Amino acid sequence: MANLLTVRAKSGRVSFQFYKKTWIVFLLLSVLSLIIFMLSLSSGSSFISPYAVIQQLLGYGSGEYNFVLNTLRLPRVLLAFMVGAALGVSGLILQGMIRNPLASPDIIGITSGASAGAILFMVYGMGAVSLVFLPAAAIGGAALSAVIIYGLSWKKGVTPIRLVLIGIGLSAVMKAFVMMMLVLSEAAVTTKAYLWLTGSLYGANWTDVYSMLPWVLVFIPITFLFTRTMNAAELGDDIALGLGVRVELQRLILLFVSVALAGSAVAFAGGIEFVGLIAPHVSRMMIERSFAGLVPISALTGGIMVMIADIVARTAFLPLDIPAGVFTAAVGAPFFIYLLYRNRNK
Amino acid sequence: MSGHTYSVSTKSLFVLILSMLLLLAGCGSDSSGGASNEGTAEAEPKAEEKTAREITHAMGTTTIEGTPKKIVTLYQGATDAAVELGVKPVGVVESWLEQPIYNYLKEDLEGVQIVGQETQPNLEEIAKLEPDLIIASKLRHEEIYEQLSQIAPTVAHETVFEFKGTVELMGEAMNQQEKAAELLSDWDSRVADFQEKIKEKMGGQWPLHVSVLNFREDHARIYVTGFAGSILTELGFEGPKSITDESLDVVKLTDKESITQMNADVFYMFMEDNEAVKKTHDEWTSHPLWKNLDAVKADQVYTVDEIIWNMGGGIRAANLMLDDIYDRFQLEK
Repeated sequence: MANLLTVRAKSGRVSFQFYKKTWIVFLLLSVLSLIIFMLSLSSGSSFISPYAVIQQLLGYGSGEYNFVLNTLRLPRVLLAFMVGAALGVSGLILQGMIRNPLASPDIIGITSGASAGAILFMVYGMGAVSLVFLPAAAIGGAALSAVIIYGLSWKKGVTPIRLVLIGIGLSAVMKAFVMMMLVLSEAAVTTKAYLWLTGSLYGANWTDVYSMLPWVLVFIPITFLFTRTMNAAELGDDIALGLGVRVELQRLILLFVSVALAGSAVAFAGGIEFVGLIAPHVSRMMIERSFAGLVPISALTGGIMVMIADIVARTAFLPLDIPAGVFTAAVGAPFFIYLLYRNRNK
Repeated sequence: MSGHTYSVSTKSLFVLILSMLLLLAGCGSDSSGGASNEGTAEAEPKAEEKTAREITHAMGTTTIEGTPKKIVTLYQGATDAAVELGVKPVGVVESWLEQPIYNYLKEDLEGVQIVGQETQPNLEEIAKLEPDLIIASKLRHEEIYEQLSQIAPTVAHETVFEFKGTVELMGEAMNQQEKAAELLSDWDSRVADFQEKIKEKMGGQWPLHVSVLNFREDHARIYVTGFAGSILTELGFEGPKSITDESLDVVKLTDKESITQMNADVFYMFMEDNEAVKKTHDEWTSHPLWKNLDAVKADQVYTVDEIIWNMGGGIRAANLMLDDIYDRFQLEK
């Protein structure tokens, strides 16, 4: 196993390994992200040459593109990347923790919890309270639904399968609640809510970027610390327990991290679906199953997916600006069916 | 077992993560510096405030100078009002039906740039037009107000269907106060004229109770206030006979048992032109309870144009709606 690179804390509590191939994939994906990032900044209602974009980014711009790049495109693209990265890692954690390739924040009820929180805010808060608090309401909804899922799954400990089943059940309840609120609300609120539920990066500004940044910067690095746990957890609870993992505690913390990532992503971009499901799978196709390697790769893959979806959303139907969630769903749904098809004999 | 093992202390791992955080935070504050530069550049024109008017609106106070020539309207009622005020906007949002522009406005708005949908107007398209005034609605555009204001001075109305408020706000913002006042006083005298004539014609039967009905794929609605409702109230009509709760602006009926709520002397109804809606309409209107309603018994059920009565939301639509009511009561305009 000479192709491994290990980083280990002297105390032995924290360690992670990377396959060397992971580095190559990581570099390639980083370059790809950068290319798509530039492409995102160039494309829109009017095309701005990448050269002019670079000039502007380095501060030598003529000022001509100041508004379009600095105020409109840059925050939107950055937010798209962060949202994708957060969803990708959140999905990776859930799939590893639950040991089910079909787990993702949208399926076990975290996204629908956030939606319920957001809708409740739109129906009763809007007008009276500034829209600035909408993300807080969404994160609150996600957190509350996670607590309910965890609480209901508790039966002298939580088994992954119970967690999934309760999650799917709660997700259905939340969706029904969202539907009810949509029917009861005024027409204008309904329109807004539908847009939000589809997931859109429309109107992203620097405040959104700065509010999202800490979530990504804190919670994605934290997942590295759980590499050992996650690698062991994939072998099953019993073996993990035998290897000295405090399964229950670690699971609770990881669930918390996953909810924080998915909740914040949903809070700023609405119910963008399928990214949390697909990004980890794509990553596993590219590199070996080492959790430490999968974290950055899933983050990059998720980021790239949402950036591409948003480029299409902004440019395909000009002058209309379509919610990006439409396109992640358009690609995600067939992929989901493919996953089911591929796993049919397992 | 592994090729290379780097042993590091737990402390240094934390230091590493922390320094990454700091580095990124540094990048962050850099770009925020860039953003604030823009702010100062934007503040420049405010220095010369001689002919400036301060306009207080739903999203705050905005200073506007002179007579804006290039305006962008971001909701249907504002587009309608701009045309009536004699200004052809440089950009408008797509209409809900008859896309991209309602037929009743098409002639006046030929060649106008569409800047996306009312719910998500395309900010880059708006910026490209380099407008000097943007008319928005808080209901729809609260979250993008800051960005709109960086493109051009932006005034926002609270909602989208108060055609009089829209005319007033736009008159002020566009420096067309006189024209706006004229439009509104014309409207008032038309209302007075209608009230006089209808009283003469209907005698003791006036005021009539009216219900504005709308059939959807899976339910029916009574519009109590809103655009049509508020105009009918202003004309002197009474609302639906059995709805006393005045806080409701739209009553959604999902059960045919509640048809009795619709009861009034006159029904004006509008609906989308598709099979599912038609089916709902047929089902509801063939229900035994429907036949007991006063308007049905008196044969006072009318289908009206959805765009004029509900979707236009501007002063021209209001006048066209009033024309329609004059005609239906066979009154002279």
